[in-house]
Amino acid sequence: MTRIAKTVRGVRTGRVRAQLTERTTARTSEPTGEPTPAHAVRTHAWFTPWLLVAPAVLFLLAFNLWPTANAFFLAFTNVRVLSGGELVGFANFERMLSDAQLATALVNSIVYMLVCVPFLLLVPLGLAVLVEKKLPGIAFFRTAFYTPVVASAVVVALIWGWLLDDRGIINSMALNLGFVTEAIPFLTDRWLVLFSAISLTIWKGLGYYMVIYLSALGGVPRELHEAAAVDGAGALRRFWSITIPGVRNTMLLVSVMITVSALRVFAELYILTNGTGGIGGADVSVVMLIQMYARGFSGNLGYASALSLLLFVITLGPLLLIARINRGRG
Amino acid sequence: MTIRRIGAAGAALTVLAALGGCALNGAGGTEADAGADASGEVTGEVTLQTWALKPSFTEYVEGVIDDFEQEYPGTTVTWLDQPGDGYSEKVLAQAAAGELPDVTNLPPDFALSLAREGLLTDVTEVDDTLEDTYVAGALEAYQYRGIEGTFGFPWYLTTDLNYWNTEMFEAAGLDPAAPPTSLDELVAQARTMMDETGGYLMSRKPGVGDFAAEGIPVLSEDGTEFVFNTPEAAALLDVYRTAYADGLLPDDVLTDAYLGNSQLFTEGKVAWSTGGGNFINSVLENNPSLEGKITSSPYMGATPLYVQGLSVSSQSANPTTAVALARFVTNAANQEAFAAEVPGVFPSTTASQEKPELAESDGTPQGDAKQIAFSNLTTAQVLQPVEVDEAMTTIINQQFAAAIAGDKTSQEALDAAVEECNRLLADQ
Repeated sequence: MTRIAKTVRGVRTGRVRAQLTERTTARTSEPTGEPTPAHAVRTHAWFTPWLLVAPAVLFLLAFNLWPTANAFFLAFTNVRVLSGGELVGFANFERMLSDAQLATALVNSIVYMLVCVPFLLLVPLGLAVLVEKKLPGIAFFRTAFYTPVVASAVVVALIWGWLLDDRGIINSMALNLGFVTEAIPFLTDRWLVLFSAISLTIWKGLGYYMVIYLSALGGVPRELHEAAAVDGAGALRRFWSITIPGVRNTMLLVSVMITVSALRVFAELYILTNGTGGIGGADVSVVMLIQMYARGFSGNLGYASALSLLLFVITLGPLLLIARINRGRG
Repeated sequence: MTIRRIGAAGAALTVLAALGGCALNGAGGTEADAGADASGEVTGEVTLQTWALKPSFTEYVEGVIDDFEQEYPGTTVTWLDQPGDGYSEKVLAQAAAGELPDVTNLPPDFALSLAREGLLTDVTEVDDTLEDTYVAGALEAYQYRGIEGTFGFPWYLTTDLNYWNTEMFEAAGLDPAAPPTSLDELVAQARTMMDETGGYLMSRKPGVGDFAAEGIPVLSEDGTEFVFNTPEAAALLDVYRTAYADGLLPDDVLTDAYLGNSQLFTEGKVAWSTGGGNFINSVLENNPSLEGKITSSPYMGATPLYVQGLSVSSQSANPTTAVALARFVTNAANQEAFAAEVPGVFPSTTASQEKPELAESDGTPQGDAKQIAFSNLTTAQVLQPVEVDEAMTTIINQQFAAAIAGDKTSQEALDAAVEECNRLLADQ
């Protein structure tokens, strides 16, 4: 066993744990202030707390719970926007089984998720570690990385559409420089469209998740890094043995957020395919299907609701998985 | 504990879902509503809703309203103008909430869904001079398969014609005075242009309207199923497929993701576009360098007809005045005045069809375009069936793109499009 490895094991199992315990003890043994009087004077009416939460509760009921319950109900009907409808049992769900576009959309969503999760889980962490350092001008890079987050998804997708178009900047440059002999079909090839949209999502999400990681990194004790450095651990080893464990909970949270948003992707694919879902509808997403069926004068709200219920169940899966992992760790 | 929680959540959802059951009632009127009583006195308040006429035509519309209120003392018209984008959603929301304005500007495809639910007045029951007043094609646009009646007073008409970039034609050695008159000629000249200059003549993919223009049936006679998966339709798609494979169409024509055909024409990047009688004016306004470089010719195949009309809500509280207002706005004098304001827009009134100022060109390209558009109105038809809704259009676009790209045969794409569109049609 090499000296470094021994040192790192020491860091992990000995001194570090001791320091952590020390910190925890110090935190819990802090004075808690004046004791609460046994008979505190009540300064508010019994309904004051209810009054304070009422706006939020009403908002939640009107704009979250009510539409959710309504969609749940509509999924078992053939309701249209104008004509009403009737209960049809599981007919909408049976229809899903023969809906080729839905199968395509689910494949797209899963590919989207599988590519987005590792990229958006790790690259923003790397960026956060880089911009966490207090160096002159580092604020510029923080701002630069965060700028895409502020931009509207639709505007960004339009700009990317112009960039990736056959006559767009990327193809024009590639053709002029002789890298390719004909334009790369970024927006017309079934997989290139999907990966163009994934690239856009990753580019736009980097800054957002970077900020989340930055706050998590602030909670990783600097003393641990210093102690590990004294023990001879290199930057990579400290990152692996101190930073990663320190932000593990945040990584779990981030992975859930990415998974859910990847499964619900809409704007990127919609704009890049001009709402058509690409050639043959091969680049459609589940949310695009919901939008397609629900829109217009003859919108089929029943089937669209059934699709949204399916999407809800699918996105619930990763959430339950994470909850289970958290419980297991606890 | 967990089971109890799930049970509580389920119970809460059930209660909310039961409350949600009100959605089953729909927003429709009744059959009796379709023939609102309009035999009373013309007086009181009514609301007129138009589509994207402000601010360009504010003066015109306010003038018409003033004239109406003077003609019928005691009436007050409230004018609502909705923005161009999202108009169908706006009308849909109004209809679903039972708040459709008394008189609403609705194109025939918007009116269809409302007519099905009994939300519009059958104007044949309140006006027995319709056929004498309005041209047949425009009236027919508001008559639907399976529904008895006419559900709008025709207002203004537009059509499409071909526009050609003469400079690009000459550069390719083609004669701009003899532009293509058929799809085959179009493809042949597109090939010449590509070979000679590398420029594009064609930059659009076909839709079901192109089938109708070539005489290929799109919908069955009884309107119950789509029938455009014929060998003739496949042959037409194959023409585009071959043209695409030979590089005569830009790649992104398949998704329309870049710029539309008309935009590329305006930029001088393609040599052909279709457009209304007023299209040339907007092109020259946006790109004055094309002045003197545009010529026009009649549409290839059957000429498309686009109709706008005013429909009267069957739930109007003041149907007599609403019908009077719709008639007044769409009368010959007001329509002719509107056509004078907007070149390329034509009256739907029979009395206006012989007007020399509409039928003659002043010799300019703009005048020629207007004259061509007007002269073809008499034979123009609504090419795309009004039953084709947004979801169907999306599916048709997807499948036609797949055929043109060579991902599947034209017949396979047509079969897939017809199957899915029929499923959606059965749902309507």
